[in-house]
Amino acid sequence: MKRYVYINDDNLAKDIYCDNRISNRKYTILNFLPKNLWEQFSRFMNQYFLLIACLQLWSLITPVNPASTWGPLILIFAVSSSKEAWDDYNRYLLDKKANEKEIWIVRQGIRKLIQAQDICIGNIVWLRENDEVPCDLLLLGTADPQGFCYVETAALDGETDLKTRSIPSACMGIDVDLLHKIKGVIECPSPNKDIRRFDANMRLFPPFLDNDIFPLTIKNTLLQSCYLRNTEWACGVAVYTGNQTKLGMCRGIAEPKLTAVDAMIDKLTGAVFVFQIVVVIVLGIAGNVFKDKQGRKLWYVQYPKEGPWYELLVIPLRFELLCSIMIPISIKVSLDLAKSLYAKFIDWDVEMVDPETGIRSNAANQAISEDLGQVEYILTDKTGTLTENKMIFKRCCISGRFYGNESGDALTAKVGQFHTRHYPKMKKPLYVLLLVCAWFWRIKTEIFLILTSMHLQCNMKYLTLWSSHLTGKECLWWLGNAKAGNFSSCQKEQMKLFFLLPILIVSGQQVRTFAEAVEQYAQMGLRTLCLAWRKLEEDEYQEWTSMFKEANSTLVDRERRVAEVCQRLERDFEILGVAAIEDRLQEGVPETIEILRKAGINFWMLTGDKMSTAIQIALSCNFVSPEPKGQILIIDGKTEDEVCRSLDRVLLTTRITESESKQDVAFVVDGWALEIALKHYRKPFTELAILSRTAICCRVTPSQKAQLVELLKLCDYRTLAIGDGGNDVRMIQQADIGVGISGREGLQAARAADYSIGKFRFLKRLILVHGRYSYNRTAFLSQYSFYKSFLICFIQIFFSFISGVSGTSLFNTVSLMAYNVFYTSVPVLFSVLDKDLSERTVMQHPQILFDCQSGRLLNPSTFAGWFGRSLFHAIVVFVITIHSYAFEKSVMEEVAMVAVSGCIWLQAFVVALETNSFTIFQHLAIWGNLVGFYAINWIVSSIPTSGMYTIMFRLCEQPSYWITMILIVATGMCPVLALKYLRYTYRPSRINLLQQSERLGGPILSSGIIEPKSRSSLDKDIPTDSVYEPLLSESPSATRRSAGPTQRLDSVQSQSPPHSTHTRKDN
Amino acid sequence: MNASNPSSSAAGAGSADSTAPRRNSKRPKYSRFTQQELPACKPILTPKWVIGTFLLVSVIFIPIGVVSLFASQDVVEIVDRYETDCIPEPSRNDKVGFIQSNQSKTCQRTLRIPKHMKQPIYVYYQLDNFYQNHRRYVKSRSDQQLRNNGSLQETDACKPEDTTPGGAPIVPCGLIAWSLFNDTYDFTRNNQILNVNKRGISWKSDREHKFGKDVFPRNFQNGTLKGGATLNPNLTLSEQEDLIVWMRTAALPTFRKLYGKIEVDLQRDELINVTLENNYNTYSFGGKKKLVLSTTSWLGGKNDFVGIAYLTVGGLCFFLALVFLLIYLIKPRQLGDPSYLSWNRNSSGH
Repeated sequence: MKRYVYINDDNLAKDIYCDNRISNRKYTILNFLPKNLWEQFSRFMNQYFLLIACLQLWSLITPVNPASTWGPLILIFAVSSSKEAWDDYNRYLLDKKANEKEIWIVRQGIRKLIQAQDICIGNIVWLRENDEVPCDLLLLGTADPQGFCYVETAALDGETDLKTRSIPSACMGIDVDLLHKIKGVIECPSPNKDIRRFDANMRLFPPFLDNDIFPLTIKNTLLQSCYLRNTEWACGVAVYTGNQTKLGMCRGIAEPKLTAVDAMIDKLTGAVFVFQIVVVIVLGIAGNVFKDKQGRKLWYVQYPKEGPWYELLVIPLRFELLCSIMIPISIKVSLDLAKSLYAKFIDWDVEMVDPETGIRSNAANQAISEDLGQVEYILTDKTGTLTENKMIFKRCCISGRFYGNESGDALTAKVGQFHTRHYPKMKKPLYVLLLVCAWFWRIKTEIFLILTSMHLQCNMKYLTLWSSHLTGKECLWWLGNAKAGNFSSCQKEQMKLFFLLPILIVSGQQVRTFAEAVEQYAQMGLRTLCLAWRKLEEDEYQEWTSMFKEANSTLVDRERRVAEVCQRLERDFEILGVAAIEDRLQEGVPETIEILRKAGINFWMLTGDKMSTAIQIALSCNFVSPEPKGQILIIDGKTEDEVCRSLDRVLLTTRITESESKQDVAFVVDGWALEIALKHYRKPFTELAILSRTAICCRVTPSQKAQLVELLKLCDYRTLAIGDGGNDVRMIQQADIGVGISGREGLQAARAADYSIGKFRFLKRLILVHGRYSYNRTAFLSQYSFYKSFLICFIQIFFSFISGVSGTSLFNTVSLMAYNVFYTSVPVLFSVLDKDLSERTVMQHPQILFDCQSGRLLNPSTFAGWFGRSLFHAIVVFVITIHSYAFEKSVMEEVAMVAVSGCIWLQAFVVALETNSFTIFQHLAIWGNLVGFYAINWIVSSIPTSGMYTIMFRLCEQPSYWITMILIVATGMCPVLALKYLRYTYRPSRINLLQQSERLGGPILSSGIIEPKSRSSLDKDIPTDSVYEPLLSESPSATRRSAGPTQRLDSVQSQSPPHSTHTRKDN
Repeated sequence: MNASNPSSSAAGAGSADSTAPRRNSKRPKYSRFTQQELPACKPILTPKWVIGTFLLVSVIFIPIGVVSLFASQDVVEIVDRYETDCIPEPSRNDKVGFIQSNQSKTCQRTLRIPKHMKQPIYVYYQLDNFYQNHRRYVKSRSDQQLRNNGSLQETDACKPEDTTPGGAPIVPCGLIAWSLFNDTYDFTRNNQILNVNKRGISWKSDREHKFGKDVFPRNFQNGTLKGGATLNPNLTLSEQEDLIVWMRTAALPTFRKLYGKIEVDLQRDELINVTLENNYNTYSFGGKKKLVLSTTSWLGGKNDFVGIAYLTVGGLCFFLALVFLLIYLIKPRQLGDPSYLSWNRNSSGH
């Protein structure tokens, strides 16, 4: 479990732990072929094709040349293996570069230059400014006298801000030369992937400080792949090396995600396989019976009297090979091709480029675009996802006075002036506190404005010191929740400690004002922060510090113990004031959510924020309809019983309203209650999750977010998780589709995600346009692939009945191969450009997404339709061919070519009939393919040695050939067209209806319409929807009164904040 | 086809086009393809269009059907089934025994010309229930050997008729050649011999490229088991036209193969006497043998199927067009009526 690292001990570590050789490679030269093949053959389809290809090598049973299967199979395998090999080779080059980098380390007390791969555990590594850290180091010394250094951790967590790292207090003040000789032992956990924790401790050996165990945290480490910045040098001892570093452990190849469409195709393939086996068995039996009853009488066939032992198997196996084309080998290739094009369309989309930053949308995962069209649940983070994550200091309440109004940011300076005048005594602690907050909340500019106006001198070093004790995230968390405390020693002001705390703990008259203020600000959707302080006496501080240190150095359960210790200080505060910070909603969020909700997608908001703020944001971005339509039910409680009762009550209400289906019910749950609900009342909670379309979960942890995704996935829903920060990564990875917003919190979420977009509002386009089209196109493409395979396979089966059930293939090898690879793949190549409805129509009628969500375009019944169609077409082609090419015309090669031509003509018309919009490419592909078919066959027919010599020329000269073709097309297509027309006109699907109204230019308006907007004006428009609440936008003509202390505030439970009524009237 | 408002889609694309590139230089390269905004024709199935199509199909198909039917009717065809009649009465209980015996198998048939037949008149033999497309049969040949004098030994595919018991290759090898049809027909009209031209009955391409000019039959039909006809060992394969015709295997179990051409007109009610050698064994598997004399038309031989199929499809299309028209008139339905959208229906209910 634990690892002991002996600093600077060359002998001990080498054998026990691995060296620093990094290897990201999946393969070596030796194992590449077997391993890669093994991986490829773990898929059912590939196994199937391999089996078929092997069977074909047996010339007794193969109907055609084995090349017809081996060719495509080898091609498919070669393509994917060479892609893998290339990727792996590049990884190898990168590894090599990293491994052979020259690094200064200490050996026997002398600095030496060695290759990075030779670093051992316990070695002391010296780094210069801008060096990359070669392995996980525990910092021992830096050029900075205070023991700080700065690192850029972008490669690790995507955050571009420099982070400070400090040396452990034990190493403070050790001379540079002595650092070469330092000895000691570090007790640290086994290698793990948690990049936020390093719960270790260290003991130095004499002559250094002895017998004192010093706690170590992640703050004392330099992790692999970070860069040293703004620090002349730093040195540290290697604690994790090679692939055991934090980064190395985090690495790992993500499990490929399987889309619902893929799963459905697999299921259908399985069904087809079963069908194929049945056909083979039936034909095999029929073949053997025919052989015994009739075959032996056919003297010209010369059946031997005694066959080999496997004789009975020969005919079934022949049919197996004959029917193997039923499962199209081309489907994987064409789907992969289509999918990568869908992904490219997302990358290329100019309407999904963030106009401010120029960040493009990116589809990192190319394989799951169809799933976007089938999303049923969206789980979204709040900060940075729905909001801009630009913190603007909006209002504050100081000693019962409220400052700030509608007009926004400028107020800060004014507050400062006011405050200096009226509360000179208070100013300093307050502003230092604000400064502290600002440091973490990244609203630096504004706070600096105040600072300058106050002439408040504050050394930035404090902040650095300060932040070295907590990561930015934790602090943000703590501050944001106003929950726990931090300390700072700000000597100049003779203050020991500042504390931030939840206001409700404190009682008393004065507190009421603040409580109201917090409530009021929260209802405006602002993030509130209570500022309070207490002076600590020296001894009290010392006592607490030692406790804090002790808690901080425990290895087990450190976080909880620290929290406990911190709570001891959180009492008897003097409240300074309440600050409110606005995090504006991103542009277009409410309408995006409304459209997606209309599209039948359920929204869950998972946030770490407090309940009232969350509810407010939810209301303002259309998560919940306002009263009376919308209803917010709260699940709360601290104990199991309370939660249980609360849950039951909410469930009951939800059931009732659900049955009436008029109301829009949302439930709200906080992290604590959620924990209990998930642990003890999973069943009712799941039921509630299914019943309720909207949920707001506040104060949830990253792992709870992931748990909720898991819960919905277990109920068989397609989930999409969207977030921007590191705390959303787990949820994003867990969900079927992860979308990351390349926002202010770094790229961590965007990297882990399948799709990254610049702004939340692009989600609407991602789902409704890209997702929907991808689903529709894939649905057609996959079913068409099966259709054309069935078509040719059925003809083979029918032919076997007139060829003595002996398993003769009507078609020759070339035709079969070209049919699959070329003739039938080209026409659909451009169906990836097909658009059933225009983007505009889809945006106006988002409800149409329901057809995709419920999988209406690809399911067993639509598949049965295609199956029936291929059966019908096979009958048409076969019957017409053998009747018009009967008697003296019945030459094997000619009949085969007539049948193939018939199939090609029919499928061209099928594709044409199923195409909703013809661009020039589709015309080229569909009709050009016909030309290509004749061209290829003419070429083949002009080779004297080919079996098809002159056949196609002969056929094309015959009028009867062309008459047969026309007959096949008309007979095959007229019933299909008639059926389609009847359904289109008299039982139209919703897509059909919209197509008709869109294309006839008729009335498109439906009652649920959203005002159509031209795309160019979208950016400026303020949504006109009545639910939209302009509180959070900069509206100069605000009609709300400036929030004063006299305003009556309803509690959250009243479900209808008064000002939302105001705004509705305003609009 | 109703190519409906391309203007609206073009306008939408145009507006994006004008505003898009200016906003940000980092944008992905704009093209109508990458934005999926290629101008497209979006047809929909309006009643007019569909009814029109069906009418059009019927208008085209019915005349073609009539013409095809006439063409087929113009063809004069005489079919004479002879496999039972050509076995003497006493042997009819054991047809197989008869055919395998050495008795004389000459048989006389008389054909009556029903209609004036213009030359060339094709003489076919027709076999029923003969599986030339059987897997064992169809593959049992060696194209290389047939083409090339140097490839005599390439008889792998020909089993079991690949080599003589001594190991010498059979040319032409394989079951197809071995089972060559060997009935012969001699025609007389008014006791004058009616010439049957047996040259040029096979495909020219086969004679020139598939059957070698320097390949002579070897060891053919020398085995204990005799199949069909023997070949003149002094003629090259490219001159053995009966073999070439026979080796164009038929795809159906009922097929006709060209025997020769009569290059004089035959008058109505003329009697043709056929002296035939009934050698070929179709009796073991109950196959029929027929002698066919037929003229030809632009569509080929007599085949009513195409004409009837065209008339049927044309008629059905006309009928469908009529039905659709009636439905359209009786129960017109406005296309794209948004009130049919289910979500509109739901919300209007409240």
